[in-house]
Amino acid sequence: MIGAQTWVARLLRAGIVGGLAVLVGCASDAELDTLQPQGPIARSIDTLSDPVFLIAGIVFLIIFGGTALIWWRFRDDHSTDEFPEQIHGDLKLEILWTVIPTLLLAVIAVFTLITLSDINDTEDNAMALSVGGTPVAWEPEIVVVGQQWWWEYRYYFDGLDGIDLSDTRHLPPADIVTGTQMVIPTGQEIELRITSRDVIHSHWIPALNGKRDAVPGRVNPWKLEAETPGVYFGQCTEFCGLSHSRMRMQVIAMEPGDFQEWVDQQVQPAAEPKSEAAIRGLATFEAQCARCHVVNGLNDENFEGADLVSNAAPNLTHLMSRTTFAGGIFNLYEPDGTLNRTQLEAWLRDAPAEKPAYSSGRRGMPNMGLDEGQIDDLIAYLQTLGESPLLETIMATEVE
Amino acid sequence: MAQTMNRQLELPSGNGQDHRPLGVYTRPQGGGGWRDWITTIDHKKIGILYGAAALFFFIIGGIEALLIRLQLATPDGSVLGADTYNQVFTMHGVTMVFLVIMPMAAAFANYLLPLQIGARDVAFPRLNALSFWIFLAGGIFLNTSWLLGGAPDGGWFGYAPNSGIVFSPGNGMDFYALGLQITGIASLLSAMNLIVTVLNMRAPGMTLFRMPVFTWMILVVQFLLLFAVPVITVALFLLMFDRNFGSHFFNPQMGSDPLLWQHLFWIFGHPEVYILILPSFGIVSEVIPTFSRKPIFGYPFMVFSGIAIGFMGWGVWAHHMFVTGIGPISVAAFSLSTMFIAVPTGVKILNWLATMWGGKIRFTTAMLFATGVVSMFTIGGLSGVTHSVAPADTQQTDTYYIVAHFHYVIFGGALLGIFAGFYFWWPKVFGHLLDEKLGKWNFWTMLIGFNLTFGPMHVVGLQGMSRRIHTYSPGFGFEFWNLVETIGAFIIALGVLFFVLNVILSARRARGVPPVGPDPWDARSLEWLTPNPTPVHNFDEVPTVEGLDEFWHRKYGTDDEGRVVRVATADEVCQDGSATGVHLPSPSYWPIVLAAGFPLVAYGLIYSLWFCVPGAALILMAIYAWAFEPVDDPDSGHEDHANGVHDEGPDEGAAQDSEEAPVD
Repeated sequence: MIGAQTWVARLLRAGIVGGLAVLVGCASDAELDTLQPQGPIARSIDTLSDPVFLIAGIVFLIIFGGTALIWWRFRDDHSTDEFPEQIHGDLKLEILWTVIPTLLLAVIAVFTLITLSDINDTEDNAMALSVGGTPVAWEPEIVVVGQQWWWEYRYYFDGLDGIDLSDTRHLPPADIVTGTQMVIPTGQEIELRITSRDVIHSHWIPALNGKRDAVPGRVNPWKLEAETPGVYFGQCTEFCGLSHSRMRMQVIAMEPGDFQEWVDQQVQPAAEPKSEAAIRGLATFEAQCARCHVVNGLNDENFEGADLVSNAAPNLTHLMSRTTFAGGIFNLYEPDGTLNRTQLEAWLRDAPAEKPAYSSGRRGMPNMGLDEGQIDDLIAYLQTLGESPLLETIMATEVE
Repeated sequence: MAQTMNRQLELPSGNGQDHRPLGVYTRPQGGGGWRDWITTIDHKKIGILYGAAALFFFIIGGIEALLIRLQLATPDGSVLGADTYNQVFTMHGVTMVFLVIMPMAAAFANYLLPLQIGARDVAFPRLNALSFWIFLAGGIFLNTSWLLGGAPDGGWFGYAPNSGIVFSPGNGMDFYALGLQITGIASLLSAMNLIVTVLNMRAPGMTLFRMPVFTWMILVVQFLLLFAVPVITVALFLLMFDRNFGSHFFNPQMGSDPLLWQHLFWIFGHPEVYILILPSFGIVSEVIPTFSRKPIFGYPFMVFSGIAIGFMGWGVWAHHMFVTGIGPISVAAFSLSTMFIAVPTGVKILNWLATMWGGKIRFTTAMLFATGVVSMFTIGGLSGVTHSVAPADTQQTDTYYIVAHFHYVIFGGALLGIFAGFYFWWPKVFGHLLDEKLGKWNFWTMLIGFNLTFGPMHVVGLQGMSRRIHTYSPGFGFEFWNLVETIGAFIIALGVLFFVLNVILSARRARGVPPVGPDPWDARSLEWLTPNPTPVHNFDEVPTVEGLDEFWHRKYGTDDEGRVVRVATADEVCQDGSATGVHLPSPSYWPIVLAAGFPLVAYGLIYSLWFCVPGAALILMAIYAWAFEPVDDPDSGHEDHANGVHDEGPDEGAAQDSEEAPVD
């Protein structure tokens, strides 16, 4: 795809984008930058839009330069009282400046249609995986569910045939249910099925593809592809209420081998707590948290749906394998790999104070009125849920 | 004048009373002061009222904009909470679109359109007053939400189901649904009124293709309003039923598709963009020829490109929905239609440049604003082309790149054009010029502030900054430019302050000085045939029109070698406003009374249906009294030309008092 970049696009890179880079010089790491595609789909969009930016820039310079020239050349210098020649129009000119932009746009239209068809096509790809010891040929598909104000990612390794996604409040059990961080294998086209449990959201990982809305009652197809392992940041881009700005996500792309390891971990049920504190924490969890949050093997059998408008709160079975929480806005770990205890405590103490929520309206995590002892116990229990990620992942996914 | 003062609130008396059925009152007599303004049905006064109200809302919307920029000046800002921020950005959009740009255009249309076609007034003067009062009632109603528990918080676009009762349980979105239905009534009435006026009330010889481009653009806008407003009204009506009466038009839980709202909203919403911009295009098309001392280049192309935009504007709405999952075929179709609407817009830009080419350009403030529109709108138009490319739009939509785009269109296009109109027609309306020096300060601060505010939004948008976020985190590269944008916003505010100062100082300077006299700009179109300020009866005698730029052609002819020579001075050409006996319709109480009923009904729908009863009673009573209002009060005569303009500038009253004479 890089080879397909025209000289025009290259010129643009050196020119306008280079200029932009200077303009944004103080930006340390612009993780949401739309002009730095990291996958083939995003790159084909970029390859299409770069020349359009360039053409727009040239047209602007012509118009602006022309205006400046006219201002200078035809200003009234009061040298004479005579009227300028009274010209009423020119049919040839009118035709010329109707036809030229039309042709220019027609050319853009052709390339637009080609790219549009490309980014809507899907390929048949399958990767060999072992899920709980059973080999499967997984055509990478991930169900993406938006709700106020976090993203859920559901993996069905047997494919989506026969999986009814129309009732988002009662989705069929999935092999893996995670939130806030979507883990994908590199080099594979990942098909997304995007939907919502409440209002409209929009799922956007700029480095990998454009956005697609999560519309309740609809399942919108979309796709992503990352070439190299890494972390790609995203942000909900459709206004979805109070904490719209606080609804973030990341895609973590792994080599297929690492992805297999991640799958192996995720399909495990939650571990039994062992320490005293963790066992007390489990009791608190069951009393206070299990009404909304699922831990596989603990309450998934009898879980009826969270007491929330969206009917769902993040599945916490492998909480510790993720590196952010609360809709992707807080780090779960310190840069040295230890738990970000301060933030987690603050969240458990009074969530609405940390992230705007209509807690009385059953949207967002409410203040559970836990005492400090309960918070300590809960944290001890939560720490048993899932294995810690690698330090490099913690570093790469750091937010704020 | 003294004689009318005594009688202004007099109810029917004497013989007349015996013959009048219940509820039929004589017309108010005017008589100066505020009573004159609330009962006026003079299109010029209504135009001024529209302008004043829109400027008032402009200040409110501007303060909301400054609050938004303060909140976003730094990462993790805490000036406004998330909830307040959502209300403020919603109301900023609603206010600027529905309560500022649209009524500003209505101000110019009301004042100028009858004058440009040589008419005495609009076709339905009382209806015209009703439009204004309903608009004002709707605007005030919307803004009272701030005091009644919270403004709308679902965005000006009000996407379902976020705007529904479950997700926005406060009353804010009810104010949105009802307030915009009320202002919609005003737009519809006004559209019908102006269409009839243009089609039926043109002076002899004023064929459609001799009408100034401004009048043409206003005509196109009225048709857009006529067909677009009902669509949003339907959407708002359904939303109101969803919220207040338990229906499920937009509730996906009950199987409805929330995209229905988006289709309805944008089928209105995209023509709305042209409703906002075309009046400004009209203004620019008047200002540029005047100050280039050349006729508009390619008049028929200017007119037909405006009409083409009006038609094509109906076929592009789904470009607001490229990422909603409407399917690749729809996306492709709307992508292409959106690209090609750039063609007629480009034709306009190039014709303006060609008008200036070869001219003798005078850089008055009005001309600066008009050329500001040409270049700033070009930026907005070009960024528009970049997101007509649907795949590119999947990266751009709902980011600050879009915010940059439509502010270049609506601020850089519509609002700068409106300011050009202010400076150009101020002497026509108020009889004195606005100060040119302050005007240039006004222009340059506004232009620089505007570019500092919205230019960097292109950058942060492409860097991935989402719209409608109440705060952002450090580290994404948004910090620097957001601070610059906030500084720019305050420079714009400074520019607006210069304008307000200019209005005050120029009015003060003009006090006790005779009016500016005819034709301060060496203008071209028919409205300048009347003296400045326009007398209440407009034209002393209805002019017979022989061509485009009628007024200019009465001043200039050509000699044998084809050079332009002056054949008459403006003083000779202009009417002196001394006519008497021009029939003037009398003022009426009923438009404002009728309009006052609407907010009452709306409050009733929100709080208690019982409140609807007095509101509906008021409306019915006003309609009844309106219908039976005598065509004319036999006592009043319609001689009172001078009263109509007293309030606008005390200076001209003296000149005209002596001219008034009874007619009957």
